[in-house]
Amino acid sequence: MPDSILIEPVMEAPLHPTDRARLRAENLRVAYGPKEVLKGVSLDIPANQVTAIIGPSGCGKSTFLKCFNRIHELSGPAKVTGRIELDGRDLMAMREVELRRRVGMVFQKPNPFPKSIYDNVAFGPRLFGVRGRSDLDGAVEDGLRKAALWDEVKDRLADSAQGLSGGQQQRLCIARALAVQPEVLLMDEPCSALDPIATARIEELLFDLKRELTIVIVTHNMQQAARASDRTAFLWLGELVEEGPTETIFTNPGKPMTEDYITGRFG
Amino acid sequence: MSRSFPKSFSSRPRLPLSLWADRGAGTLFLISTLVLVALIFSLIGFLAWRGAGAFIALPGNTDRVLSLREVFLGLDWSPTQDRFGVLPFIFGSFTVVGLSIALAGPLGVLTAVFVTQIAPRWMRAVMRQAMDLLVGIPSVVYGIFGLATLLPFLGDRWLDGQPSAGFLASALILTVMIVPTIVSLSMDAFEALPRSLDEGARALGSTTWQSIASVLIPAAWPRLVTAVVLGMGRAIGEAMAIQMVIGNNPQWISLMRDLTDRTPLLRFLFTPASTLTTELVQELPNTAAHSAWNNVLFALGLLLYLLTMGSILLTRRLSRRRA
Repeated sequence: MPDSILIEPVMEAPLHPTDRARLRAENLRVAYGPKEVLKGVSLDIPANQVTAIIGPSGCGKSTFLKCFNRIHELSGPAKVTGRIELDGRDLMAMREVELRRRVGMVFQKPNPFPKSIYDNVAFGPRLFGVRGRSDLDGAVEDGLRKAALWDEVKDRLADSAQGLSGGQQQRLCIARALAVQPEVLLMDEPCSALDPIATARIEELLFDLKRELTIVIVTHNMQQAARASDRTAFLWLGELVEEGPTETIFTNPGKPMTEDYITGRFG
Repeated sequence: MSRSFPKSFSSRPRLPLSLWADRGAGTLFLISTLVLVALIFSLIGFLAWRGAGAFIALPGNTDRVLSLREVFLGLDWSPTQDRFGVLPFIFGSFTVVGLSIALAGPLGVLTAVFVTQIAPRWMRAVMRQAMDLLVGIPSVVYGIFGLATLLPFLGDRWLDGQPSAGFLASALILTVMIVPTIVSLSMDAFEALPRSLDEGARALGSTTWQSIASVLIPAAWPRLVTAVVLGMGRAIGEAMAIQMVIGNNPQWISLMRDLTDRTPLLRFLFTPASTLTTELVQELPNTAAHSAWNNVLFALGLLLYLLTMGSILLTRRLSRRRA
C-alpha cells in the first residue's frame, strides 16, 4: 500500500516571512482542575501585525497566550477543549518541539540562563543541531541585531548575561527567541519589570520585528497597547469581550465594558 | 496625625531587677561562648602537641624521634618492629572516600533531579522525610547492616563465599550513609532555581531532559558541588561503620600484591584494608601513652582533622563564590 509509507514531515522548513503565518483560537476552553480559566475564546490573529491582549489581572490573558506554544502545560495538567491553529494546523496535535521552534516566547521577567551572552542566544540554534562555529556566530549576531542589542554587547559576548541591565536582559531574551527564526513571537507582559526607557526601546523593536513575524503581546499597560499594537483584544473573566483594530477599540469601543476598562473605571 | 502607642512602650523607668537580669544573662552568654572556644582550641592544641611528639623530642617521650619522611612516605606499618609508614592509611582513606563519592555524587544528584523535576509534587515531601530519617541513623547501625548483610552477599556473589571485607563494602556502606545528605542538599539547590529558567528553556523547544542537562544542572552546579563536598566531609570522618566492613589490615598494600589468584579488580575491591579512621579506632586504645606508636596515631588524628577542616573551608569558599 503506497499510502502506508507516507510519513508526516517531522519538521517543516521555516516559512518565508511573507507567508501569512497566523494563529486562530476557536471556542478555546482551558481548565486547571475545577477552575475554568478560559471560557470559550475565539480569536483570529493576523500575520505580520502586533496583536495586544488586554484585561485585568486573572482574566486569563496569560493562559490564552501560553496556549499558542503550549507552555501552559508546564503549569500542571490542564484540560483544553476547542481548537487552536497555527496556519490551519491543529496546534495541539503538533510536536511540542516543532511548535515551540515556530512560536517563540518572551516572559514577564527577563530569564536569561546563567551562561554567557553568546551561549544564551546560541541555545536555541544548538538545540536544533547547529554545530559549526560560523553558523552559530551568524545566528547569534542575527538574533542580537534583530533585538537591537548587538551594538551594546558585541565586544563582550563571553560575559555573563547576568551582568546586563534589566532592559538588556529582556532584549537578550528576545534575541534568544529570535535566533531560531520563529514565525510568531509571544510576549507575556515583557515590559512589566522594566523602566520607561527600556520599555520604549522594546516597543520600537516591535515595529521592526512585525515585518518579519507575527507578534502577540499581553499587557496590562493600556498606553502600551494603544501605542504599539495594530489590533487589540479585551478579555474579561476568561471571555473575549471585544476585539478589533487598536484605533477602534481605543477611540470607539463597541461595548460599554471595554470603554470602562480602557478609561480606567475598573481593572 | 498622632499615633497612640500601647501602654507597655511608655517611658517608665526600668526596674533595677530586670536590669541586673539583663547583665547577668549577657555575662552568662559570654562565659558559655568562652568555655566553648577554649574547649575547641585546647582540643586542637592537644592533638597538635601529642602529634608533634612523634617528630620532636618532647618531655615524656619514651621512644626515639621519627622523621616526617619515614612516617608520611613510608609504606610499611609494623609498629612492633619500629616501622611507622602511614601511607597505607592515607591511600586507604582516599580510596574509600573517592569510591563512595563517585557512587554517591551522581546517585544523589540524579535522585534530586528526579524528585524535584520529574516526580509528582507529593514525592518531594516524602523524600525529604526519608532523607532526614536516614541522616539520623547512627553509623554503627549501618556497620551492623554491612557486617550482617552486605559482606555475606558480596562474598557469595563474587568470592565463592570467602570473606569480602575491603574497599568495595566500605564504599557501599559509606555511599548509603552520605547519599541522603547529598540528595537533601541537591534538592535545595534545584528548588532554589527560579521556575522561569525551566520555562525559558522549554519555550525554546527543549525537552524535559534537555532543559535539565543544559540549563538546570549548570545553573545549580555550585550548590551541587557544595552538596557533594559536604558529603565528602562526612565520609572522611566516618570510622565505626567502615571499621566493621573493611577488614582492618594495615599491610593491605603487600597483601594486595600477594593475592595472585584473583583478578586485579577483585584484589582491589576485596582486599582487607585500613583507613586513617579505622586505624585510630583499632589501635589507639592498645598503645602506651607517649610511645612513638601512640604519638604517630595522634599525628594521624591531626591529619584527619586537617582534612575535614579542608573540606569545610572548601565548602565555604564554594558557597561564597555562588553568592
